[in-house]
Amino acid sequence: MTEYIGEHLWAGQLGHALTVISLVGALLATSGYFQGTRTGQIEWTRLGRIGFRMHSLAVLGIVVTLFVMLFNHWFEYDYVWKHSNLAMPMKYIASCFWEGQEGSFLLWTFWHVVLGNVLIWRAKAWEGPVMTVFATVQVFLAIMILGVYVGDVRVGSSPFLLIRELPENIGLPWTAMANYLSAIPQFADGRGLNPLLQNYWMVIHPPTLFLGFASTLVPFAFAIAGLWRKDRTGWITPALPWTFFGIMVLGTGILMGGAWAYEALSFGGFWAWDPVENASLVPWITLVAAGHLMLVNKRKPTALFSLFLLTLITFILVLYSTFLTRSGVLGDTSVHSFTGDGMLPGLLLFLLFYISLSVVMLLTDKGQRQFYAGISVVMLAIGVGLEVQVPAILLFGAISIGMLVSAYRQGFISKEPEESLWSREFWLFIGSLVLLLSAMQITFSTSVPVFNLLLEPFDKVFGWIGDKTGSEFFQGLADAKLAPPGEAIAHYNKWQIPFAFIVTFLIAFGQYLRWKDTDVKKFRKQLAASFIASVLLTALGVYLLKYELAELNLIALFFATVFAILANAWYIPSVLKGSLKSAGASVAHVGFGLVLLGALISTSRQDEVSRNTRNMDLRFLNEGFSNSEDILLYRGDTVLMGEHYVRYNAKRQEGVNLYYAMDYFAAVPRNYTAGDTVRVGDMLFAAKDAHTAGKFFLEDQPAHWLPLDVFTRRELWHAQEWSSSKPGEQVFSLDPFVQLNPRFGNVAEPSTKHWAHRDLYTHVRYADMAIASDTADDAWMPDRLYDKHVGDSIITPTAMAIIDSVYMVKDSVTKKMLGAQYTVYAAHLRVRDLYQPDRWFEARPLVIYAGGEPVMGKAAELGPLRIRYSLATVKFEDGPVMGHGGPIPGTDKPRIAVGLNVAESEFLVMQAIVFPGINILWIGCVLLFVGTFMAVWQRVKR
Amino acid sequence: MSTPDHTMPSYPNAHVPKGMKRSHIIAIVIIAVAIGALVGSLYDSSTYADLEQAMEHPGKEYHVVGTLDRSAEIVYEPSLNASLTTFTMRDLNGKTCKVHLAKAKPQDFERSERLVLIGEANANGEFEARDMLMKCPSKYNEENKVNG
Repeated sequence: MTEYIGEHLWAGQLGHALTVISLVGALLATSGYFQGTRTGQIEWTRLGRIGFRMHSLAVLGIVVTLFVMLFNHWFEYDYVWKHSNLAMPMKYIASCFWEGQEGSFLLWTFWHVVLGNVLIWRAKAWEGPVMTVFATVQVFLAIMILGVYVGDVRVGSSPFLLIRELPENIGLPWTAMANYLSAIPQFADGRGLNPLLQNYWMVIHPPTLFLGFASTLVPFAFAIAGLWRKDRTGWITPALPWTFFGIMVLGTGILMGGAWAYEALSFGGFWAWDPVENASLVPWITLVAAGHLMLVNKRKPTALFSLFLLTLITFILVLYSTFLTRSGVLGDTSVHSFTGDGMLPGLLLFLLFYISLSVVMLLTDKGQRQFYAGISVVMLAIGVGLEVQVPAILLFGAISIGMLVSAYRQGFISKEPEESLWSREFWLFIGSLVLLLSAMQITFSTSVPVFNLLLEPFDKVFGWIGDKTGSEFFQGLADAKLAPPGEAIAHYNKWQIPFAFIVTFLIAFGQYLRWKDTDVKKFRKQLAASFIASVLLTALGVYLLKYELAELNLIALFFATVFAILANAWYIPSVLKGSLKSAGASVAHVGFGLVLLGALISTSRQDEVSRNTRNMDLRFLNEGFSNSEDILLYRGDTVLMGEHYVRYNAKRQEGVNLYYAMDYFAAVPRNYTAGDTVRVGDMLFAAKDAHTAGKFFLEDQPAHWLPLDVFTRRELWHAQEWSSSKPGEQVFSLDPFVQLNPRFGNVAEPSTKHWAHRDLYTHVRYADMAIASDTADDAWMPDRLYDKHVGDSIITPTAMAIIDSVYMVKDSVTKKMLGAQYTVYAAHLRVRDLYQPDRWFEARPLVIYAGGEPVMGKAAELGPLRIRYSLATVKFEDGPVMGHGGPIPGTDKPRIAVGLNVAESEFLVMQAIVFPGINILWIGCVLLFVGTFMAVWQRVKR
Repeated sequence: MSTPDHTMPSYPNAHVPKGMKRSHIIAIVIIAVAIGALVGSLYDSSTYADLEQAMEHPGKEYHVVGTLDRSAEIVYEPSLNASLTTFTMRDLNGKTCKVHLAKAKPQDFERSERLVLIGEANANGEFEARDMLMKCPSKYNEENKVNG
């Protein structure tokens, strides 16, 4: 054995040992609590408690150990090396902790530990069965970070692995070096945290989200416990505050993710229906549905099966999300999913176990339970043993669905008469089912990559149907290589807007319905004011936001959200008589309505003000050039963009960030005085009188402008273009920036101007990253060298330059100043403006030679064309005629080769979007949080 | 909301129509919408294809996975069109094709290790991409490059 120098082996060994202890503790807790619940003997429960405490301490130990390793930069550990480096500020250590797969599992485990201990303290009679479920989950999670090999299959992945212990490194020569840490420079510093993740959002978002995920386990565990103890309703009351706690925390986590995307990432919005975003949204939707069904069933068990289904499925969907985003099945479909790293089998088992457990527990017949449990095990054995995983899973799924139906028929068919149409419980039930449908739709569309795997056994069937019917749809399903919907946002909106409409509409009147039955007259009277006000506000909204009839779905959702907001706000003074004690639901509903309304307005009426801002018509150059969504800003130019003039002033570097300073000016109406000449197209006009310009020239022209019949080209070129406005005083500035990171790639981060009623969101799409020490040179993009001959032309985006001649500058002043050993050459260029092809310029760049080498030069800048020509080399080719060399054919004059550098004025490309009404969304988020908190607080206090 | 008169007997003796219960109707509607959503997600989904398949069906939208051909030129002339990048892509079968991407040239495009183009082939045998997903080696999966 080599004695390695400089390693901190104790940390890894401690970490591994604690992982094993945490697994043993979880197993102990599982068996203790299980036996305790089964037999009712307190000794077993005590053992379970001891096991869970042991597990808890071990998990805390693991967390502390990993933090110590990160804090001390022990780069011999793979996790530390991959996720941190020396340059990183200490405040982001936490982000490093959960950036990786293992760390985020650990975070999840940690929250389960916290919640589990609260339950031990508070759950009283439910402790045994609830903690049994908790402990089994902890067993799975402990295995996920165990990182052991069972045969060739790696189970889990440990954060305590040394780099030299990684499978891909074992046996490499350097692992035999005792001093490898000091000898190999790569070990001196880690790879560091992805710059995208170096912000405070990454510090607060993942813990919140994972606490939300973790809290879905509590209602799940209670539901299983209720089924286990055959107390089908008793579990609802203790589970209820936990459920709404989960709704609050998970909802906050999701919205934080949206806020992060909006504030710090350049995705161009706060929600993109990315699989990873969907994966967190779907469990939230079903949790909301479950929470509301709990309210129904707590009073009278009328929709018990749906309640169980939704409660159980919420946690299963969390597991499914974990499977989707971490197993690697999403592959190319998501920009920010984890890659597999062999996690797939473990995650799949984790998921299937809890599906199986849920179905087993729902079955009331003992024989059926045993049959199903047996089938599940057999399926697993067949799937793994015979390597026919997909058919086995499909068969398992089919049997599970069959068993669910059977469970419903045997144990849950209500003998009670159906609820009244005018009862609160009926519409809560309908709302929950709509939420379930919404969740299913998102899940289906997110799961498209999974379908490719699941459809494989049916290739022949679909192929046959496809051939028989000639249907492209079925041919596509055979040998499926399905990709996510190309127009993802349109696809999701198509389905989700109707769902959202129904749900918000139900939210509007739901609370006005009484349990059991409602006095309809009173109901109508109470809602009338809000309804009428919503109709009026919707009409106003349609007028202001210019919604068209084709956008009827948007108008309907607009109405429903406004109705939900007003009706729920009105509920507090009218029904609750201003008492805030039980106003939590109303506040949360107002918040939800505001979130949807803000999202609706800001996304449906977002305005890409950077689109097509150049007034030059580029289509004559190429048909593909008509549609530019980004604005090009030359440094120093002031350009009208939306309602402001924008000017790109300068760039500056601060640390790793390169800031692009943009000033925004108010657009003020332009005043013309009599005699002013302006250019419109190829014509010149003279102002007849002093006036303020209107919006369009054609409207102004008859009254105020006289076309000029005679003018010179020069006059035309020098005349100012007519414009309706001009830049006024500076109103604000924005500094979008690019984070420079050679290892991870540069990352553009947006800068947003916030107003009360809208935001202007800007980010740099493309820019010159070079910071020159000489600011004069900074003002130009990098030179491009063209090797040409006299007579050739150079075409660049804005200009075509013809090299007319090259001559030696022989005037006495130059000679006298420089001395005899220097030779000065000048190139005479005639430059044509490609945007106004009749407009010509001249440029004469110089180069100075000494001893046959160019020593310096003087560039020629053409301001109006934003181009700079510098002469790099001049060479007289008087050798034999070969290719381009030699004298000009038919003459004895030598051919002159020139190296010409061409640079464009420094510019950047920026995207700018105006999001109207986005603050409605953020206010809604706050109210949603506050309202849910109030509701939870009231229930905990009771 | 529009039911004008309230004649429904009140709970618990609610009126249950003979034959079909309301819950059954609800269940049928739910199942129908769920199946609709499933088929809808399959129907709206795009298809992964190689360049050859995309070329055979010009105008049909595909997701094409491949890599950037670094030997070919990447043309991005922002002063002409800030949202047009032209480059050459090599698909997983090794076939190459000229691509017009209707986006600004992404940061660190040259370093990308994997591209997913979303778009369609045109009549000239070129690929017109509406959008592109790009994976950089940096993200989460950079190979551990420590090898003495």
